[in-house]
Amino acid sequence: MSQRFVTLLTATSFLVLSVTGVIAFIRPFSLQVVGLHALVGFAFVALVAFHVAASSRAMTRHLRSPTLWTVLGLTALITAILWWQPRPVKAILGLSGNLGPALDRFEVGETGLVYRYSPDPAYKLVLEIRTGSSYDPENPPRLAIWLENQSHYHIKTLLEPEGDDSEEMLPYRAAKFAGWKTALADAKKRDVDLDSLAHAISSPTENSSFDPADYILPQKSESSMPYRLLIEINQPQDPSPKTADQPSLVYQVEIDNFDPRTFQLLDLVGYPVKEESSDGKTEWSLFFADEQFDSALDLIDSALLTIERKAGDE
Amino acid sequence: MKKQDPSWNRRHFLQSSFIGAGAAIASTSETAVAVVPEAREPEVTVEFDVLVVGGGTAGTVAAIQAGLLGAKTLLLERNSQLGGTMTTGGVAFPGLFDAWGKQIIAGIGWELVKESVQLDEGVQPNFAKVPKRHWENQVYINQFLYAILCEEKCAAAGVEIAYYEFPQAVTRVEQGWQVDCVGFGTKRRILCRQIIDCTGGAEVVGLLGYARLREEERQPGSFLYMLGEAHEPGRNQIHRLYVHGADSTNSRTATQANLAGRKSILEKVRHEKKRLMHLQPETGFRESFRIEGETMVTVNDYTTGRFFEDAISYAFYPVDLHTREGVKPAPLKPGVVPTIPLRALIPKGSRDLIVAGRCVSSDRLANSGLRVQASCMGMGQAAGVAAALAAKAGTTPLEVPLIEIHDRLREHGQIVPVKA
Repeated sequence: MSQRFVTLLTATSFLVLSVTGVIAFIRPFSLQVVGLHALVGFAFVALVAFHVAASSRAMTRHLRSPTLWTVLGLTALITAILWWQPRPVKAILGLSGNLGPALDRFEVGETGLVYRYSPDPAYKLVLEIRTGSSYDPENPPRLAIWLENQSHYHIKTLLEPEGDDSEEMLPYRAAKFAGWKTALADAKKRDVDLDSLAHAISSPTENSSFDPADYILPQKSESSMPYRLLIEINQPQDPSPKTADQPSLVYQVEIDNFDPRTFQLLDLVGYPVKEESSDGKTEWSLFFADEQFDSALDLIDSALLTIERKAGDE
Repeated sequence: MKKQDPSWNRRHFLQSSFIGAGAAIASTSETAVAVVPEAREPEVTVEFDVLVVGGGTAGTVAAIQAGLLGAKTLLLERNSQLGGTMTTGGVAFPGLFDAWGKQIIAGIGWELVKESVQLDEGVQPNFAKVPKRHWENQVYINQFLYAILCEEKCAAAGVEIAYYEFPQAVTRVEQGWQVDCVGFGTKRRILCRQIIDCTGGAEVVGLLGYARLREEERQPGSFLYMLGEAHEPGRNQIHRLYVHGADSTNSRTATQANLAGRKSILEKVRHEKKRLMHLQPETGFRESFRIEGETMVTVNDYTTGRFFEDAISYAFYPVDLHTREGVKPAPLKPGVVPTIPLRALIPKGSRDLIVAGRCVSSDRLANSGLRVQASCMGMGQAAGVAAALAAKAGTTPLEVPLIEIHDRLREHGQIVPVKA
């Protein structure tokens, strides 16, 4: 009875692991999905151990079977290939909406928030956001981190905002993200080769590429491909003497691998305002922070971007 | 027999009447010429406190400022209107008056721009909005109105304007300078205490033999025109083409630039088969000579927003070097607002001479950001104050107490740089 129970539990855990693994691959980074995947993974390891212990007799029989050694050898080979990440593997990982060939991590510590992103062993990005006096860890603000190109197009979300109200709380990022999705959909509709999206949905310049790799890990380091890292932050229901609820604030820093800097502080840019353009389209523009802001200006004390690049490390 | 045109009699009568009436006037003029067979061009000698050479973006503001401070001022302009690149060049979108959500250049230039927009019922950019590109905060003005307003403000400030004239020789005299100028039908000798050189290429500085700097290859100029659609001054963008090698060093090189620019536009008309709706009279030049001043603004000073102790004006624009391949502006980092020192307006080793405009003492990259119109207006106003005060005190601009220059600038609405 207990053996059947463990077997079934192992199978259902495997199902959860598989589904969360696929979601983590497709969707942008989410602490909920990755957390669930990791924790169920630990449980799965324990269940497998139980399962092996409960089936020790059968397992012993397998030891004498050449099939086991073939399977172990094959597993070792696949693991080694995936660990080494040759170009085809990187290409597959590059399709991921989450990490690509990256390792990224978001931690909340005593002094603030740390976001790490390392799409390549030669490139380590760390964003340290020191929280300010208005930051309440019990009721943390909504936060999103993303990359934009020089044409102000969203190219990659690094940290997706949590919560059902994220679109309302972080409207600038939401508009950028929606614009990116629309542009992608338009390009697909027009049957454009998605590899050449840069030429399809923006201007035919390198600087308007939608492929994050063109910016983060450019093939040609001699040409300048600057891009921006942006943060949008908003504390829900935070009135100030001038307004019932302070809008979100946007910080940014420009990164240029052609002019590499290890340390850069993000600057406050402004707050988003929805406007109607002359041709009737609505668009979000940033306005310089004015007197309506009070405590919102102290949500972030400082945001430091550190990028370590190893020259010539492929 | 020829049939007579029935309208002939009436027309002939009218023509005869006009000829008859005009004959008296014509004969009087002819007689006057005839009685002075060796008539020479009239020679005029005039005295001024301040002579401003060049009635462009900086020069007009400098002259108005000097006039407002009570200096007897003459503004010399070799073309037929004031405003320079904003009017004759057609770059009628001056900038940048703001940086990071705050106005940094105001004063006489800004008031002129503001009034020309109001009078034209135009719209200013929303300066509270973070511009995605620097040019979003340039102010579109009606170039024709602007030129006339410049004349009105000069008249109100007591500034005398002399069009079609330019200096041929500048000589040091006891009271200051003797400047010999020519225009068609005019030879004018000007005696003045102070000269403000706003010629763009520091032509007076060159006449006096002070050191000037020039790159081996100049940035391209821009010829502005409108093809196939009507140009609405102060409203729409205007077409522009690069004139590579455009050089305003002298009349010969400027002629070449204008010929090349117009030839290219004619080719466009033929190729695109569209009507030419608007054409500026000359190329907008970006670069020629810069002075070697008492100090030089380097690109590092510019991009770090160095505060000069003798700063007289702010400046704000990306590093904006145009090449054959185009331009890739390098925006200034957030919060950075460069300053312009008074010493960068003083030719090294000179007295009673100051410049304003794109010839400011600076390296090439710094100059690519400093050369723009709002910054030139800021320099022009400061030069106007310094020259007027120097003329009044019988000293040279660099010896005028800086605090006095700052005080007069503030009184006339200018924003004086302060240390952050």
